[in-house]
Amino acid sequence: MRSSYRFFLWAFVAFLAVSSLATIALHRGEQINALWLVTAAVCTYALGYRFYGKFIATKVLGLDPQRATPAERLENGRDFVPTNKWVVFGHHFAAIAGPGPLVGPVLAAQFGYLPGTLWILVGAVFGGCVQDFVVLLFSVRRDGKSLTEMAKDEIGRVGGFVAYASVISILVILLAVCALIVVNALKQSPWGAFTIAMTIPIAVLMGVYLRRLRPGRVLETSAIGFVLVLAAIWGGQWASQTPTVAKYFTLSASALAIAIIAYGFAASALPVWLLLAPRDYLSTFVKLGTIGLLAVGIVVMHPTLHMPALTRFIDGTGPVFAGKLFPFAFITIACGAISGFHSLISSGTTPKLIRRETEIRLVGYGAMLCESLVAIMATVAACVLEPGTYFAINSPAGIVGQSAEKAVGVISGWGFNVTAGSMQALAQSVGEQTLFNRTGGAPAFAVGMAHIFSNSLGGQAVMALWYHFALMFEALFILTVLDAGTRVGRFMIQDALGHIWKPLGRTSWYPSILSTSALIVAAWGYFLWQGVRDPLGGINSLWPLFGIANQLLAAVALCVATTIIIKMHHAKYALVTLAPLTWLVVVTFTASWHKIFDSDPRIGFLSQARQLAEAGGNARLIFNNRLDAVVTGVLIALVSLLLVESIRHWVGLLSGKRVAQTAESPFVATRLAEERA
Amino acid sequence: MKLFRLLHEILREIFEEAAYHRFCTKEGVSSGRASYASFLRDRQRVGSNVRCC
Repeated sequence: MRSSYRFFLWAFVAFLAVSSLATIALHRGEQINALWLVTAAVCTYALGYRFYGKFIATKVLGLDPQRATPAERLENGRDFVPTNKWVVFGHHFAAIAGPGPLVGPVLAAQFGYLPGTLWILVGAVFGGCVQDFVVLLFSVRRDGKSLTEMAKDEIGRVGGFVAYASVISILVILLAVCALIVVNALKQSPWGAFTIAMTIPIAVLMGVYLRRLRPGRVLETSAIGFVLVLAAIWGGQWASQTPTVAKYFTLSASALAIAIIAYGFAASALPVWLLLAPRDYLSTFVKLGTIGLLAVGIVVMHPTLHMPALTRFIDGTGPVFAGKLFPFAFITIACGAISGFHSLISSGTTPKLIRRETEIRLVGYGAMLCESLVAIMATVAACVLEPGTYFAINSPAGIVGQSAEKAVGVISGWGFNVTAGSMQALAQSVGEQTLFNRTGGAPAFAVGMAHIFSNSLGGQAVMALWYHFALMFEALFILTVLDAGTRVGRFMIQDALGHIWKPLGRTSWYPSILSTSALIVAAWGYFLWQGVRDPLGGINSLWPLFGIANQLLAAVALCVATTIIIKMHHAKYALVTLAPLTWLVVVTFTASWHKIFDSDPRIGFLSQARQLAEAGGNARLIFNNRLDAVVTGVLIALVSLLLVESIRHWVGLLSGKRVAQTAESPFVATRLAEERA
Repeated sequence: MKLFRLLHEILREIFEEAAYHRFCTKEGVSSGRASYASFLRDRQRVGSNVRCC
């Protein structure tokens, strides 16, 4: 009776999934409700978790409830602590959910809502969740080792080196892209710039309050910080309407870039308790609350999507970024479908908190499904906008022209109606001077989110407050990624330089702190400056570069995972990680080829450099394009090296010429199971 | 009630209040400025603040 009840329940979920997917895929020329996307996503995730996740847990990985985890064996009350599965789930989700799943889907919406949605669902269930799940289990079975350590142990020194080089490269590009999104969102926006500037003294106040007045009371301090941030949003309106104050916060892109570079250096060099830690707490507090609020807003409002399922830009002529649907949609949406960066979290803090192996499916597979749902919500936020409005916000001046009249003419010529008057009214309703050419995804997401929120709470009268709340929310956690990432990059450089000269490796020696902070900030600052000066808006060249780097890191993680699975089972089950790995290699290598060699100057770095050189263009721009081509080439070369080394290993293992030796810790029976028995 | 307790526990872990409590228990110190300062130094050594994109 019980099993037949279950059968009918899952058959109903499958029916719902298929019918919602059919609705979003087959409707052409008609607008559909956002709830179809949410229903398709939730049902697909439920099926993926229940069936594919369970198959991997039982057959491929053989999760063993009797095996003691490192959290139990090495418990030290510090980093190794057996923790409740829901607590680890929340902790892991808070660490993996960043700005990526919000920005990528907004940019990919230029192809229509369908390609992004399908890639987010399929990519997450068969790629991203699998990567996070298997890397987490393999790290747990290796005493919580990091991805680079596992690569070195399982594939050899080449694997370790490639993993290290990939991590540092992705970090530099990621930080530059994050900074560029903030610059594009805050340029010429006194309200936004004031609010974000205020978060710095608020964080310092929180740091002092936590350290001096109420040590350890982080939740209480974060709640106070949140109230102060809300006051800063309200104060931003006053600042933008007071000419004497507004002039100090109406900043050009270059001025903002310099300010953010200085901020990144300060956050890396200052004591962690003063700026970085309180900002991290504040950002997490706002992030968790806003994501929950957005989910409720979408369900309550169930808005209609105005973006068509597919747009004409699948042919590669899109204004947001150039390039055809394949491969560019698949590198534009990384987080939300599959993100290599997650493998660093899955082999970082999380494996040291896992209490039982059987809880890994919930944490590894489940948390990634939630992140994927965030990406679906971002798709909804972008697609509730009228397409004309979406393209007016996201198209750079280099494509649609500097003036409003010129821009609406070009966009209307594409078949997406928009008028200068409607854009002016929208800008006024959100308290901005203009919304044209606000590339980077963040302003479009903020307008979409404000549209959803203001229709559920407060109406049009508070649209400006919601818009700036959404902008603050994005900028706050993008800057948190920026300062935490700069610090992590500093540690990595110190670690590497410490092998050359020991004092440079000392994390508390100030000359080393200052020089390595300057080095990492200079690296991402260079790419940021390049993006700010780019006539095509910067996102066109930097976001694909970031997508390629992130997906290549996922390829590194899946290479390590495939090697371990082959050592465990031979060829049986290797497809579980080999299939997403093959897809990622095809996508990233094709995208890299286009980005380097494509004859269209909007896509290929080298052809753009050639075009600029022939027109007697700026020498710096020509150099930057060639540099981007070299960076892409180096990333591909590194991963090719790892692939060759991995394939050599796999062939040796499968032919029996190589002995399958894993670096897995020996089995120790859990005491927790005994206690339970 | 149980759900609220679990939610509170999750938030305490995310915001490192639980880690601070464990630190005080392990070191045998009471909550205060000095213990919180050494807790922050300890967290920095562990390097737990990686945030994804």
